[in-house]
Amino acid sequence: MDRKKLTYIVLAVACVATTVGFLLAFFVAAPAQMLRTLDSGKGAIMGSGFVSHPIDFGQKIFYFHVPVAIASFTIFFFTAFYGVRFLMTRDRKYDTKSRIATEVTLIFVVLTMITGDLWTRWSWGVWWTWEPRLTTYFIMMLLVIGYFVLRASVEDEEKRAVYAAAFGIIAFLDAPLSFAITRIVPAGSEVHPVVIGVPGGLEGSQLAAFLISMFGMIAFGYVIYQLRYREERAKERLEVLKAALED
Amino acid sequence: MAAPARTGSSSWRQFAAILRKDIIMELRTFEMLTSMGLYTMLTLVIYQIALSQSGSGFDVRLIAAGLLWLAFVFTSMLGLNRSLVHEKDQGCLEALLLSPVDRPVIFLAKAVGNLVFLLIVETITMPLFFVMFLSGRTLGGAWWMIPLALLVGSIGIAGVGTLLATISVNTRGRDFILSVLFIPVMYPLLLAAVGATSAAILGNPGFVEEFWRDMALAGGYDAIMLLAAYGLYEFVIGA
Amino acid sequence: MTLVGTPALEVEDLTRIFGPRKALDGVSFVVPTGAFLSIFGPNGAGKTTLLRTLTTLQNPSSGTARVFGLDVVKDAVELRSRIGLISHNALLYPDLSAEENLLFFAEMYGIADPADRVKELLDSVELLHRRFDLVRTFSRGMLQRLSIARALLHRPDVLFLDEPYSGLDPHAMDILDNLIAQVRTQHTFVMVSHDLVKGLELCSHALILAKGKVVRFDEKESIDGETFAAEYRGIVGLGVA
Repeated sequence: MDRKKLTYIVLAVACVATTVGFLLAFFVAAPAQMLRTLDSGKGAIMGSGFVSHPIDFGQKIFYFHVPVAIASFTIFFFTAFYGVRFLMTRDRKYDTKSRIATEVTLIFVVLTMITGDLWTRWSWGVWWTWEPRLTTYFIMMLLVIGYFVLRASVEDEEKRAVYAAAFGIIAFLDAPLSFAITRIVPAGSEVHPVVIGVPGGLEGSQLAAFLISMFGMIAFGYVIYQLRYREERAKERLEVLKAALED
Repeated sequence: MAAPARTGSSSWRQFAAILRKDIIMELRTFEMLTSMGLYTMLTLVIYQIALSQSGSGFDVRLIAAGLLWLAFVFTSMLGLNRSLVHEKDQGCLEALLLSPVDRPVIFLAKAVGNLVFLLIVETITMPLFFVMFLSGRTLGGAWWMIPLALLVGSIGIAGVGTLLATISVNTRGRDFILSVLFIPVMYPLLLAAVGATSAAILGNPGFVEEFWRDMALAGGYDAIMLLAAYGLYEFVIGA
Repeated sequence: MTLVGTPALEVEDLTRIFGPRKALDGVSFVVPTGAFLSIFGPNGAGKTTLLRTLTTLQNPSSGTARVFGLDVVKDAVELRSRIGLISHNALLYPDLSAEENLLFFAEMYGIADPADRVKELLDSVELLHRRFDLVRTFSRGMLQRLSIARALLHRPDVLFLDEPYSGLDPHAMDILDNLIAQVRTQHTFVMVSHDLVKGLELCSHALILAKGKVVRFDEKESIDGETFAAEYRGIVGLGVA
């Protein structure tokens, strides 16, 4: 089956999956247990904070935040993967693939940040906290932005591709290291690490919502990537034709 | 055609030659060391400004590790760029690439050179910092842990920094590009290094375990990233 | 060590593409040992790319190039010890002395008895009296002489020259001419130059590149100076577009 058809099928699947996930998350999934709280003075969580949100509404964002986060990391892998392929073959199409993957990563990382921010706001009343996942994704966002800044600052096309590939690989290695280290290094005595996690496992209904959502997000990622890539390849083919005409 | 009289060059000798050249050039001009040293002093002045309203009760030791590493990070970025500008100047890098030297050898020589200069600056800055901001305070942990933490952190900075500086020196807006790339990539290493240094300075209960755990993390970072930088350097320098 | 009959340069269908740009497009030619090849062409014709490919600084996208039988990609490391480059850049470290510069490169090439060889070369370019002086104090002409010394350190089989005359005053040009004449028989030369007169005067073979393609490749005997110059100007006029 050709790529185009596949893309549209996946798009349909993605829409269905995310919608189903959305519905499940709000109507079927069991409300979450109390998550671990801040132990600073902001402990009003137990009091007024939750009283005004009888279902832990904020927690529902989890069904979007984590899938989007996982999707962004998955796509980021392809930045590095195509970067490696490019360095091995010097074929320009791999550079294009890597760049598009990074674009999609950026979209998803920003979504992660927004949903994560909403979550902390709903659940803890603060707009931002330096907890491991948010921090790591902030760094990831900086890495991805850095990737594009780097690309914009190199004029020679081939050099640009080589540098971008190298940095993409470094950046991709850095992300999990960030995650691991921000979790393990305790933040000293003054600042409180807030762990946005799910204590225990996920119940059946929650798990279903979560997995379907995640699948849907990754599918969306694939679709956006494919559409963008086709656009870019068309542009490139146009360039080649133009150059050939000039001769 | 005369048969070339060559003994063949071992990688080790080439490495030593490049390192020696960089050190001689630095000793002759003191360009890097003075600019790095001066920059660190200026940073200390800024710290004084930042802390000026904190009052005498404020325990600087709580943020000392962070302040130190902050100074080192910015100073190292300055030094890293300069070390590579030399090579670009008269096209010397091309001459180097034309010779039968393995590219990873160039990487190691440059990285070790940068490490040496960074360590020198750190060695001067540390006592200065202690005198200026930590006089009269006791060191909670073991003093020997601090140089160790500095070493492991600096290795990561020099290694990855050399790769990134080689990229950034070929772009428009060199120093800016280096900071944009360098800081997010260094983030995990710096966290671990500050953690270890802080444990050593504060000496809170359990600091020994904390120190070694953070050192292991920093060491892990160094191992992974240096391997990656080593492998990628060939592509980057030949571009 | 050269086998009798191994051509100095053997280029076959050399191509370098990235995206829409073809820096080199099916370049082919053969140059015998001891020749002097002059490469001409307008800016952007691919001269620099060709030179960088032959000196192993860049890899081609397809095609092959062999220098004394050594492939520029597969045998790159070995090839590097057999070639030298003289450029319009000095390729020397300004904060090292003349002697230190040469000793450094001697170390890179693994030369036996480096001290003697360096002295010998400094003498031949008449810079022995300035050996302890930092290169940043040298004049353009002196830089060029030292640069030649550096290129000859390891007794390369092929000397590449990248617009060596640009920026030189007449006196320095004479010195360069003399030095080339001195070592002419010991090396094969490849020169990229905008100077049509000089290039034709020195060469035994001439190559014109335009838009990455070989437009003309001939031995000197078959070249008539004036028609060549006219043709060249015609190409440059078109090629710059």
